[in-house]
Amino acid sequence: MQRRSAVKNIALTIGVAIVLPSWANAWNKDSFLKNHFNIASSPENLLAEIVETIIPKTNTPGAKELNIQQFIPKMIADCYDKKAQEVYAKGFGLVDMNAKNSFSKSFLECDAKQRLEVLNKMSKSDNSDEKSFIQLVKGLTIKGYLSSEYVMTNLRIYEYAPARYHGCVPVKK
Amino acid sequence: MSNLNIDSIKNQTYDAIVIGSGISGGWAAKELTGKGLRTLVLERGREVKHVTDYPTTTKMPWEFEHRNQLKKEVVDANPVVSKCYAFYEGTEQFFVKDAEHPYVQEKPFDWIRGYQTGGKSLMWARQTQRWSDFDFEGPARDGFAVDWPIRYADIAPWYSYVEKFAGISGNKDGLASLPDGEFLTPHEMNCVEKYFSQETAKNYKDRHIIMGRAAHLTNPKQIHYDQGRASCQNRTICERGCPYGGYFSSNSSTLPWAAKTGKMTLRPHSVVHSIIFDEKKNKATGVRVIDANTKQMTEYYARIIFVNAAAINTNLVLLNSTSHRFPNGLGNDNDLLGKYVAFHNYRATINAEYEGFLDSTTDGRRPNSAYIPRFRNLVKQETDFLRGYASGFNAGRYQHEDRNGMGEDLKNNLLNPTYNNVWSVGSHMMGETIPKASNFVALDKTLVDPWGIPQLRINVDYDDNDVKMTKDFFEQLSEMYTKAGFKNIRTNDTNRTPGLDIHEMGGARMGKDPKTSMLNKWNALHNCKNVFVTDGASMTSTSTQNPSLTYMAMTARSADYAVKEMRKGDL
Repeated sequence: MQRRSAVKNIALTIGVAIVLPSWANAWNKDSFLKNHFNIASSPENLLAEIVETIIPKTNTPGAKELNIQQFIPKMIADCYDKKAQEVYAKGFGLVDMNAKNSFSKSFLECDAKQRLEVLNKMSKSDNSDEKSFIQLVKGLTIKGYLSSEYVMTNLRIYEYAPARYHGCVPVKK
Repeated sequence: MSNLNIDSIKNQTYDAIVIGSGISGGWAAKELTGKGLRTLVLERGREVKHVTDYPTTTKMPWEFEHRNQLKKEVVDANPVVSKCYAFYEGTEQFFVKDAEHPYVQEKPFDWIRGYQTGGKSLMWARQTQRWSDFDFEGPARDGFAVDWPIRYADIAPWYSYVEKFAGISGNKDGLASLPDGEFLTPHEMNCVEKYFSQETAKNYKDRHIIMGRAAHLTNPKQIHYDQGRASCQNRTICERGCPYGGYFSSNSSTLPWAAKTGKMTLRPHSVVHSIIFDEKKNKATGVRVIDANTKQMTEYYARIIFVNAAAINTNLVLLNSTSHRFPNGLGNDNDLLGKYVAFHNYRATINAEYEGFLDSTTDGRRPNSAYIPRFRNLVKQETDFLRGYASGFNAGRYQHEDRNGMGEDLKNNLLNPTYNNVWSVGSHMMGETIPKASNFVALDKTLVDPWGIPQLRINVDYDDNDVKMTKDFFEQLSEMYTKAGFKNIRTNDTNRTPGLDIHEMGGARMGKDPKTSMLNKWNALHNCKNVFVTDGASMTSTSTQNPSLTYMAMTARSADYAVKEMRKGDL
């Protein structure tokens, strides 16, 4: 199962269906996977544009500038189960497929508005793989963004040592 | 050769040996060295020095690779410790992983351990309440376990003694059920906690909502500065170790204090195999230690021995200390050792909402919550179950972000959280469980741990009394919440496994009669009077208070007695 999913990941990364080369059959989890999800199968460019679509640059940095595309594969590889990893790996192909179906071009070739439309459509899809992928990547994008150094030091300030607790203060309007 | 042997015996001889460096072992070390005894402190884990060995204490949230989430391989490999609320990416280094020290769960029991200098005092929840005579008199009044050999008056001065040094914040509430202590400035209750306190006082004569009492330096005194500690900074990430020494731990307080005397030798990586009993002298003469790294056994000798390995491991050490005189474990003539283990029932929680004070919120952070002292069956038996429960109470005005959609709107919503249109309130139960012979730990006959010591079989479970008490907690708290106008009340029986409360107690209980107890009123073994057990293993009953403060006070009291007896020549 692991071998198959890794092969699938690579296939999706490349973005085309491939015929398994004969050497692929010699892979086993010890020699190749070592029980780990293959981070290299995350297509960083595509992921960067997906997270940027979810949280775009405005007058403050978007998710891409904050490197959320590096945070997500790390989390998926280290903290998520096989099922989530499979949903994740399959999702990139589905993103491109949806872009092609709607706009006859790859996701990367779409403009910002089209990209948003693709992801929004997938988030409401009847296809559970599409919906789950968006849910997973969006959740991690939000987590990575809100816990990023930039946001926590500039926008929603994290106090390292408040040295106080007041039990009843007015809500700031 | 013979001279060499004499020298090495001399080098391995101390006035006192303390097994364990956690919350009670640290106190034993401080008291014994403070009274001039050359003291060997044995810690089975590695050395963790105050501040310099807290690798995550100054890390910002974004500096954690997985934002404090545990790696899946860690969760998968550690089904027990992963359940602990305080075990996360920033604290992994302070908890024992499941495979490191195996044990047999005859019934499910989550045994949470910290093997390092300071033990679990590094990661504890820091709640510190005194016992009263309603607690000490419980077993005698209600006819379970055996009568405690001490009363509040015996231990009250020692509570004061340890509170002043450790630094306990709290309010003098004047409650008979929860005696006041030597308090630093209390934390503040928030508007909804105060409101609930007032409403409850109106609705019930005998129920009180007070500010929690916690081992935090809210306004440190000279004695705390002398320890190198400073004011708590309200970071609320205590379990990573505190660089300010803002909360009490062995590492920040008792151990460095003991080290300053020049009388302490702290030996890490020292797994105690057993206590050596000398039949001719009719007392213990030392301990056998297995070096955790080399697996070599060494003997150390002393006139008195304090066993502070934490409740379950203290039972293990005593059970494994067999001799011709004590084939079933040290001092164990009555076959009670390992039995009457009890814990705190933490399985019930209740949550609700309050729609008042919506123009108010809180500011800053508070490493504490409000507290509801036991009211059930306090003065007399009034229900179909024995004893009662204390509870936490916490109110918070939380914010949320609208996470719908994607793109600029989502971003804008994330950066502009809004206050919930309610306060969230909640309580958790801390129920007394009744010690009984059928809740026990015992040595496995064949399985051994990585140090060649028998594995423990743990056989501890809830009973009907706990089920009835859980039901009563839901009923009473729901009623109190309802009367205060709280809405959307939800009760949850988590059914969580015993052990996760990390309040395991008993197995070597105190009592008046050597036939029915292991320890006397000074925490010494009835049958081996120079061995003192002053950690959770000594507890005759559990009552509802968080137990650590009582271990500290008992340790200081017992050490005082032991040294006086030594000086008289009686030990």
